[in-house]
Amino acid sequence: MSNAKKAIFAAIRKALPAPASAPTIAAELTQLRARVTATRPDRVSGPPDEVFLDRVQSPGVAATAERIISWDEFPAVVMRYAEQHHLAPNIALQPHPDLEALNWGGCQTHDHIHTDETLAVGLALGGIAETGTLIFHSSPQSPTLFAFLPLHHVVAVPYKNIWSWMEDYVASFDGKSPPRNVNFVTGASGTTDIEGALVRGAHGPGWLHIVVVGAAAQ
Amino acid sequence: MKNNPPRVALFATCLVDAMRPQIGFAALALLEQVNCVVEVPMGQTCCGQPALNSGDQDGTRKIAKQNIKLLAGFDHVVVPSGSCAATIKKDYPDLFEADPVWHAKAVDLANRTYELLSYMSDLWGWRPKDVSYATTATYHDSCSGLRSLNVQAQPRKMLADVTGLELLPLEGANVCCGFGGTFCVKYPDISNAIVGEKAAAINATGAALLLGGDLGCLMNMAGKLHRDGSKVRAFHTAEILAGMGDGPAIGETA
Amino acid sequence: MNAFQGRVTAALADATLKIAIDRTTNTARSKRTAAIAAWPEFAKARELGRDIKDHVIANMEYYLNQFETNAKKTGAKIHWARTGQEACEIVVGICKAANAKSVTRSKSMLGEEIGLPHALEAAGIERVETDLAEHIIQLAGEAPSHIIWPALHKTREQVGELFKAHHTDPGALETVEQMVNSARRNLREKFMAADVGISGANFLIADTGAICTVTNEGNAELTTTPPRVHIVTAGIEKLVPSMVEAMTMLRLLVRSATGAELTQYTTFHTGPKRAGDVDGPEEFHIVLVDAGRTTMLAEGLAEMLRCLRCGACMNHCVVYRQIGGHAYGATYPGPMGSVITPSLDGLEKSQDLPRACTLNGQCQEVCPVAIPLPKLIRGWRTKAWVQGYEPLHTAWALRIWEFLAVRPVLYQLASNMALRIMPVFAKGGWISKMPLAGGWTRYRDMPKPQGGTFLAQYKKHQAAK
Repeated sequence: MSNAKKAIFAAIRKALPAPASAPTIAAELTQLRARVTATRPDRVSGPPDEVFLDRVQSPGVAATAERIISWDEFPAVVMRYAEQHHLAPNIALQPHPDLEALNWGGCQTHDHIHTDETLAVGLALGGIAETGTLIFHSSPQSPTLFAFLPLHHVVAVPYKNIWSWMEDYVASFDGKSPPRNVNFVTGASGTTDIEGALVRGAHGPGWLHIVVVGAAAQ
Repeated sequence: MKNNPPRVALFATCLVDAMRPQIGFAALALLEQVNCVVEVPMGQTCCGQPALNSGDQDGTRKIAKQNIKLLAGFDHVVVPSGSCAATIKKDYPDLFEADPVWHAKAVDLANRTYELLSYMSDLWGWRPKDVSYATTATYHDSCSGLRSLNVQAQPRKMLADVTGLELLPLEGANVCCGFGGTFCVKYPDISNAIVGEKAAAINATGAALLLGGDLGCLMNMAGKLHRDGSKVRAFHTAEILAGMGDGPAIGETA
Repeated sequence: MNAFQGRVTAALADATLKIAIDRTTNTARSKRTAAIAAWPEFAKARELGRDIKDHVIANMEYYLNQFETNAKKTGAKIHWARTGQEACEIVVGICKAANAKSVTRSKSMLGEEIGLPHALEAAGIERVETDLAEHIIQLAGEAPSHIIWPALHKTREQVGELFKAHHTDPGALETVEQMVNSARRNLREKFMAADVGISGANFLIADTGAICTVTNEGNAELTTTPPRVHIVTAGIEKLVPSMVEAMTMLRLLVRSATGAELTQYTTFHTGPKRAGDVDGPEEFHIVLVDAGRTTMLAEGLAEMLRCLRCGACMNHCVVYRQIGGHAYGATYPGPMGSVITPSLDGLEKSQDLPRACTLNGQCQEVCPVAIPLPKLIRGWRTKAWVQGYEPLHTAWALRIWEFLAVRPVLYQLASNMALRIMPVFAKGGWISKMPLAGGWTRYRDMPKPQGGTFLAQYKKHQAAK
């Protein structure tokens, strides 16, 4: 143990001379966890993917969004987005096999991201309905910087991976070892650092377009 | 309770005692309307808050003990100030945490102590009858009463039954006026900046009267309003409820 | 006039400062109010947040050990620092070992607290502040004046001037959008060129060894991902047991800070780059810093260790909103600063901070973890009194008054005597100048006492019955 650690722990012990046992601590924690449900904003009523679509377009998150039924439609959505924003159809395509398998005819793609990338297309692991949040887990197929360097980020998210509350996402990975980065992305980059006024595109993307893929059978 | 009227001590507070006895008489008039047997214990001085907020706990304990003894035996102790009532109700027990005998006495006193306006409204459901005052007023929530004792709706409810009185909302009614007891004389520049904003908000309501439940805050705001040439007049809410609004406001001569 | 009073006088005379403070804090308060109103479960969540932090603080040894063990498993290197200086030495040492020429920094109040910006500069390492506000004050050569909006004291006009002087090709700088875009262009290459990225941590997740950062701009991830080395500095009180508790704390923190439900970017960083990763740091260092936290624990300030650094207390503080952050003369301004600073800098030097407070309690009311700030502030006043720091004239005035307050007969005599003298100074119903009352009458009039104490009048009244 380093001297500094020893000294810090000695100081803690001096201030708190009777540490609780591990089982006592665990029991206390269980009691705390039992209280979580009653504290969540009670607003996720309805299928989480629908609430999610609603939340991401709410003024607080202010992303744009749409739903497509099948993956095949995704490239067309991206092309339409590029056209609407007068962007060249030259995209940084997140190197995920599910994206690479699609037909990107009609546009140029590259699998890495430039410092001044204009348009990147990505695939989120999932989303959270409560907050309108996209979740990315870093991996060779999901480099972190894809969500931070482009000016425009168009992200597909499978409807089945949309959890109601933040805790539901956490629970579904409970016990699994986490990736290097878990990124929660809730809207485009923004800053309120000058006089509290919100301006988008501070360092990260200035535009975020979310595409929910798939829908429950009626 | 109505069959057996409570014996009530009026703890007037040092500021009311010295600066504006009329608030004490207004409180007496209100308490008599709910048939309390009211007494004014002659040995009272101050709750000790100036000492407590200056950090002198020993000095505060001496004053607290004197008040605990003085106010023993009364069914209720009523205070026409949220700030002083909170000192007795919330701070006295904390001051004697290490002294079980006095702690028990302090808790007992705390349980019997009430701020005047909430006492009238919460305990007695009292509303003014036949009090009329055709004017406009705005209400400032003094901080201790608001945050320590939850005094907010009660004065407004009672004032609503004063015939002809129109209450106009005050922007930032729950924001401190900058009085802060000794703060206002220790840091007069900061206090002035705070009460300057408060006075501007009061003027902006267009109300003729400023009402509140704590004389310290009222003196601070009224004093600033007067220095700045405002025509707004200030009263303690109890004075209006007791029908004494036709008398001189704070800083007016009879 | 002491140093604090001097800074206060300067701040109160600065009309531009007041405009800047109002623009940001007014927005912050109204956004927070709306966010809390839309969350009926807030009161319960706040109690849970308070209890989670208390649980962690009470079991700090356990959770620190758990965090260290788990973080090491992920490949993170853990360092311990007793003091701010020790922490700076560790960080500078890592930078030097990495041959770092340029370091990007994502805003961290701990970094400010321990003097990390200065330490990096002293070591000759180029420091690039990436948070927009920190970038602004770095250009201005100033210290932060708020813990969420460090450049809150600057108006947009002042920021425009700064960018015009310092940015390459700033273009037009008339709107806030243009200013933000200029900063984006100017900082872009610096993110990618840095050798080391330094961040703080909003939370340390004990059961996984992850650290959590929270930003709106995305600058934390751009600071921590491209460089070869990521260094985290974190206070040892930042622990939460697991991701579950982190979610509760995030709901509380973000709404209280900016009124949003989540910041745009919330990232959990767990160790260095993995096999096959195309980005991410090769080295991941976590410096766990005491710097006075265990002292706070020992001296009765455990409740202060709950603090999430959301800034709500200062946005709602009537004193902060008049004098701004710099007047406090410390890293942490406002109510939370008035509790922390005496512990960090010594009470004698900072005794004015707990005294310059009206104890109105709004800070406690808005605190997302219910820290009893007024009680803790009053605790410092008690210590200051006991240690004899109270200025002599007010101490003696108080003692004389206390002497009278426990002698009711004398007290009444003295009161009635004073009440006979005071009207001499009155004009009509008001006193605008009176000996010994300058603190009051400099800015406000004092109502003339009605005449005779209440007790004396009451006695007469009863006798006449």
